[in-house]
Amino acid sequence: MIPELGDVVKVIAKDGVYEGILMPRPEILEKGYTVIKLDNGYNVGIEDSKIEKIELISKHKKLDPIKYRKAEHKKSLLTVSILSFGGTISSKIDYKTGGTYADYTAEDFIQMLPELENVANLRAEKVMGLMSEDLAPEDWQMMAKRIAKELNDEEVSGVVVTQGTDTLHFSTAAMSFFLKNLNKPVVFTAAQRSIDRGSSDAFFNLLCAVNAAAKFDGAAVVTCMHGTSDDKYCILNRGTKVRKMHTSRRDAFRPINELPLAKINEDGKIEILNNNYEKRNENKVSIHDKFESKTALIYVYPGIDADIFDIYIKKKYRGLVIAGTGLGHVPTFNPKHTLIKKLKELIDNGILVVIAPQAIYGRVHPYVYTNLRKLSIGLNCIFVEDMLPEVAYVKLGWVLGHGDKMEEVKKMMITNYAHEINERSDEKNFLY
Amino acid sequence: MEINYQEIGFKCGLEIHQQLDGKKLFCNCPTLNSDKEADIKIERKLKAVAGEKGEIDIAAQHEMVKDKLFIYESNSQDTCLVEYDEEPPHELNKNSLETALKVALLLNAKIIDEIQIMRKTVIDGSNVSGFQRTALIAMDGFVETPQGKVSIQTIYLEEESAQKLEDGTDFVRYKLDRLGIPLIEIATGTEIKNSEHAREVAAYIGMVLRSVEGVKRGLGTIRQDVNISITDGARTEIKGFQDLRSIPKVIEHEVKRQIDSIDKGKKLQKEVRKAEQDFSSSFLRPMPGAHRLYPETDVLPANVPKKYLEELKKKLPKLLSHKTEEFERKYGLPNQMAKEIIAYDNFELLVKTFSKIDPFTIANTLVNIPKEIKTRFNMDSSKLTQKDFEEILSYLNEGKISKEAILDLLIKKIKNEKIDLTHFESVSDEELENEIKKIISEKPNLNIGAYMGLVMSKHRGKVDGKKIMEILKRYAK
Repeated sequence: MIPELGDVVKVIAKDGVYEGILMPRPEILEKGYTVIKLDNGYNVGIEDSKIEKIELISKHKKLDPIKYRKAEHKKSLLTVSILSFGGTISSKIDYKTGGTYADYTAEDFIQMLPELENVANLRAEKVMGLMSEDLAPEDWQMMAKRIAKELNDEEVSGVVVTQGTDTLHFSTAAMSFFLKNLNKPVVFTAAQRSIDRGSSDAFFNLLCAVNAAAKFDGAAVVTCMHGTSDDKYCILNRGTKVRKMHTSRRDAFRPINELPLAKINEDGKIEILNNNYEKRNENKVSIHDKFESKTALIYVYPGIDADIFDIYIKKKYRGLVIAGTGLGHVPTFNPKHTLIKKLKELIDNGILVVIAPQAIYGRVHPYVYTNLRKLSIGLNCIFVEDMLPEVAYVKLGWVLGHGDKMEEVKKMMITNYAHEINERSDEKNFLY
Repeated sequence: MEINYQEIGFKCGLEIHQQLDGKKLFCNCPTLNSDKEADIKIERKLKAVAGEKGEIDIAAQHEMVKDKLFIYESNSQDTCLVEYDEEPPHELNKNSLETALKVALLLNAKIIDEIQIMRKTVIDGSNVSGFQRTALIAMDGFVETPQGKVSIQTIYLEEESAQKLEDGTDFVRYKLDRLGIPLIEIATGTEIKNSEHAREVAAYIGMVLRSVEGVKRGLGTIRQDVNISITDGARTEIKGFQDLRSIPKVIEHEVKRQIDSIDKGKKLQKEVRKAEQDFSSSFLRPMPGAHRLYPETDVLPANVPKKYLEELKKKLPKLLSHKTEEFERKYGLPNQMAKEIIAYDNFELLVKTFSKIDPFTIANTLVNIPKEIKTRFNMDSSKLTQKDFEEILSYLNEGKISKEAILDLLIKKIKNEKIDLTHFESVSDEELENEIKKIISEKPNLNIGAYMGLVMSKHRGKVDGKKIMEILKRYAK
């Protein structure tokens, strides 16, 4: 019998005998090695060219699935739904690729964090198992449907959504626009360290998120992640005013151009920092989730070639967010790189051009410089104040999905639907 | 009680941990024991997580019950986000790997073709991530010692843990500058025959390590753990030896502890114990189970091409043991003494520092006198520190004492007694000759042995007996 992965084998090689479990090796790596897990738990790679024979010692034993204790319903506690969409927070190692992959179901969360049982009665469902970078607008639409179903269930006090961190702020922006007449908190949480390690931030984030979903008094889409590098408190950031600002730190999610709405302490206590949000109510949530897929987000840079925009005309795009430099600039007078002519061509082709700040913090301004006026007055581009470029992209797709007439769509872009625009620029809002 | 090692089914293996120089194993931070003030403080908690096979490790569970807060302090120049578990590890440090491979080759071990980096679950907080990155780099080596061949089962390259500063009731405080320093772990087989043999093996491996460039030297850069079991006992791992010389004592204590427990009908548990100052040991934690290793997926495996290995073999440094011959020649030491003295790092430095003392006397002071103190006076010479030796040798170098006083003075050091040099002042040849003449004239016609007794009673420990005899022979009949 040919040994399979997981079997105990004896590898007879030119330089000796290795005994252990035959392990998978990431397919992406160079071929030519066989990996064995030795008795001491260590894996070693043996060069195939010196292997004479691999003998089967014993077949792989299937482990019994872990039996979960069913959580008991406590009358004194509120009910929270956890919807799982994948990401690092629900990933463990994939021995085929060596990376981490999404597999844990929401039940696993309860199993691994028994403290949750004293915070809320939990409902849990794994909706999908995608990594963040693979989530697309179609998934947001499905996400909105599942969340709305929970929100409209009287028993449920709030919803926790888990997904990957990378595009978490796109999802929260989408939900902020898609879910109309929001009645309860929708708390997005995630992890920067995978859940198979003792130091994973998932545990603390999840505990705080369930607390927030049960007890936060707002009807808002928020993120709930570490406030600092310590396991001390999480912060609730508004779904349209948050961004992943670090590739790997657990406190990567920062509020942009405003303060966090609240702090969630270790003991579940909620401390309000920014009272500017709608309160819980009895509304029935409806879904407005049409999304124009012919929407793009483009980052302007020195040396940009205007011709790259041709594809958007050719593919009949309807909207473009340009993350402009500084107050919202694009190359203007440089004859080789000016975008002015090309943007006019786009607009003449019926494409709506929106200008958002590449600087992330602060507000774009249509009039300060002549070059800005060329865009705003000259070309009628829409300057979206202090809206994040990513939020502007999601909003533009949503607006184009729901409005037809150019004037109506333009008006919607600068109308505040989910606090995506702050009218005041508070001094304390920078680099929180 | 004399221990009959064969009769009790003594099994003993060593684990030697040696820090490497250069940069850290998975980031570009320096490898130093920093004295800079901490400007970073992070507070974390760890959870016990299920391993690859869905089981929570017993050692991990033990720690989990404690539910402790871990406080990490460090200076931001010595550590980066990798140590804080806020950034994935960088590539495996190639220089560290090369140093480790050289050590493995010198220990006659077989190098793994493709080295796989693993995560070893450790949740006592000493690794911020909750695991230690570790890789098996070589297997099946051996060393030759005077008491026989001992196998080297495994050689690992791994991350050093953080240094514990304070163990509070509900928190533990760690310093992070040490975390991530490259560490070679060498595990011997269990062929070690007795407590003294364990010391010899440790000394030999230490010598091999010091022969290779890139290995750290000095206090705290090498640590030895000892694994011991006897028939009907249980395997214990003892950690935290301060000094190589204390190995035999600690082993003897542990063997006696196990024999005692067996006699009293107690069931022994596999456990990790900590060596104490008085050579006894105390319970540290249960022995970790087998489910604590899973692949480190953030780092690619490192393959070791044959060609590279051949080149490395050509570049191997000379072992310090080859110095035996050199020492024999250079310092006029007998072969046995030269063999033993190479285990003492500081010998050549001492010879240089104390230039008025002949090298043989220095070697004798380091190697033989402590043995004599142990066997003749049944005292524990392993208590003697480097400083004690230096102090006594400096008196001799300055002519304040004679070499005959060394043994007595070292004994005083063991007993922690105050040293009054006036009792040990050396006597010049002239003074001695006058003294002997005086005694003979005062008490004529005694036999030579009686005169010897009289002189010695006054000058024991200050003068060489041979010299007294020489003078007596000239003046007495």
